Amino acid sequence: MRISKSIYLFFLPGLVLYSLFFLYPTISALFYSFTDWDGLSEAFQFVGIDNYTRAFTGDSIFQKTIGNNLKFMLTVVVFQTIVALAFALIVIKNTKTNVFLRALYFFPTILSSVSVAFIWAFIYDPSMGILNQMLELIGLDFLAQNWLGNANIAIYSLAITQVWFHAGQMLIIFVAGLQAIPEELYEVAKIEGASKWQTFKSVTWPLLAPSATIVVAYTTIQSFKAFDLVFAMTGGGPNNSTEIIATYIYEVAFRSYQFGYASSISVIFMVIIALITYLQFKALRSDRVSY
Amino acid sequence: MKNRLWLATGTVGLGLILGACAGESGGDESSSESGDATQISFMHWRGEDKAVLDEIIADFEEANPDIRVEQNIYPSDQYQATAQRMLQEGSTGDVFTSFPGAQFESIESAGFFEDLSGEEFVSNFDESLIAVGQKDGTQYALPYQLVFNMPVYNKGMFDELGLEVPKSWTEFQEMADTLLENDITPIAFPGADIGPNQFMNSMMMNNAPDEDIFEKLQNGDESLTNEWWVKTLEDFKLLADKGYIQDDALGTNQDSAMALVANEEAAMLATGSYHMNSLLDLNPDLELDLLAPITVEESEATYEGINTATFMLAVNSNSDKKDQAKAFIDYLSQPEVASKYANETGQHLTVNDVEYESEALQNTSYWIDERNTRFQPRFLITNAQIEDAVLSSIENVLGGEDPMAAAEAAQQIVEENRE
Repeated sequence: MRISKSIYLFFLPGLVLYSLFFLYPTISALFYSFTDWDGLSEAFQFVGIDNYTRAFTGDSIFQKTIGNNLKFMLTVVVFQTIVALAFALIVIKNTKTNVFLRALYFFPTILSSVSVAFIWAFIYDPSMGILNQMLELIGLDFLAQNWLGNANIAIYSLAITQVWFHAGQMLIIFVAGLQAIPEELYEVAKIEGASKWQTFKSVTWPLLAPSATIVVAYTTIQSFKAFDLVFAMTGGGPNNSTEIIATYIYEVAFRSYQFGYASSISVIFMVIIALITYLQFKALRSDRVSY
Repeated sequence: MKNRLWLATGTVGLGLILGACAGESGGDESSSESGDATQISFMHWRGEDKAVLDEIIADFEEANPDIRVEQNIYPSDQYQATAQRMLQEGSTGDVFTSFPGAQFESIESAGFFEDLSGEEFVSNFDESLIAVGQKDGTQYALPYQLVFNMPVYNKGMFDELGLEVPKSWTEFQEMADTLLENDITPIAFPGADIGPNQFMNSMMMNNAPDEDIFEKLQNGDESLTNEWWVKTLEDFKLLADKGYIQDDALGTNQDSAMALVANEEAAMLATGSYHMNSLLDLNPDLELDLLAPITVEESEATYEGINTATFMLAVNSNSDKKDQAKAFIDYLSQPEVASKYANETGQHLTVNDVEYESEALQNTSYWIDERNTRFQPRFLITNAQIEDAVLSSIENVLGGEDPMAAAEAAQQIVEENRE
């Protein structure tokens, strides 16, 4: 079949928008990452790989942010995937109650991240917050914590908020994946005398792998991009314990006016996300099966 | 088929062109010629002052019918980050405000300040309070507000308990012990947000009376591991260990800390004079004054408190309407206009001959002339990452770290970020 050349014009609007809002800024960031541009002056100098050297050998806060980001990401990926999958298994059938519950679980996703941050900052408040008050009420006051003020646990408190915020979104992906599994496979497993766990391990999970890949990859990217939540809840504190790469880029670019250096961190950030996502795809792809 | 294709692409193209045109006209709205009058943009961060500034602007426009003023207000966090960008573009912020310290330095080095040195209205300001807006002898900005970044205390409660304002670190601890004996938390400390960056000033003012200390730190002539800062961190640790600040202070935000003082569960709020109005709104029966901890013995004390001349009025050097912008600053610096602003916002000002009417302002205005206060040291840290390192060391100590270890960790970051 002969395709008219004019068909390529349909690519044009998308290509223009992609080039303008993604390609151009990305190439600019790469360019400025080799300069000492302050973001305001017209003049700047090329500094070679100095910014990259500084990031890896002379900036302990940046190195700390990578650790914080990994802690945050791992907590969110593990808990969000488990919570979303568990709830998806509960609400898989299309009954009225389940449709209502899916909508209820999805509800936090439609809130703005700043609203979520304010709600959870209030929940976590050590003296007036409802979390500690509830723990005291049920006799578990020994579990009451300074959730956002303790540098050892603040990043995990933020991760729990992120899970609450986005688990509903992942639940929908899992429900769609679960509903796509042919019923006959479960019937065969039942005839063969498979237990519930064996059925899940040998039928559900392998066939759910494509959905799980999407959930894990999307959750990873989301957790690296959790700028607004972190910025509004802790601002990176206390003592940089919740500073993640995204908030640190903002700090370096817009408070310290070191756009060149911030660009180099952005480039490193992009490479880290690409690498982790690639590894996840590769790991989860090997689990895929078809019957 | 081809016709439809061209129609489709033509429609998309036209849409983009129209969108671009609409965007351009909207973007220029904030600083344009409106009718015969010239419209200028006044960019600042004080959303809470919008109403009174609207009234002042209405009076200004009546007196100057050829000028219109539009307020462009951004939250202070956002303002610190984005003001420079907007000034560069030139359409917003014909008149703008700047924070002292890092933001002033950054705007000055970018060349966005118009030189105000020769303007007549400069003499309307208290000469001793506007030096912070100068660089190399040039007056680039004029601080408008004068705040005292030191704890606000419940004077009525002190009187009731027979407590005097402590004049030394020993007296301060005795005072705090008496408060604890009466089940009152001595200091409400909002460690989750502004507490460290406000309270550090009065905690270090006498430990390091040298006003160039942070300049020396940035130059490499001083270190956070030296006596002046380690002692400051030790003093913070003492406050935490003895229960002089509330439990879980690092998780407490300013609203919660204010509630503790307003409910008389705590005696002092470790922020500044700018919270006095809010405290009185929460509890009108409070009698308030200011009290900075003297962390040395009385004979060694140099300073009694901290001041900050801020909300620095300036003219954008990229503006096409500099004369109108200067006329507006001139108007704001008239004593009767400044008095209206001061009394309705509960702020002390740097303008001469302002008449303070509110009781809270009158009761504390003695701090302007009669007390030896020092300019907020934090604002003399011009490198934002060094400032963060200093503040992080306080958070680190309040989180349980040893003061020397916290100082060493912070010093490492200082060394990484020296220019």
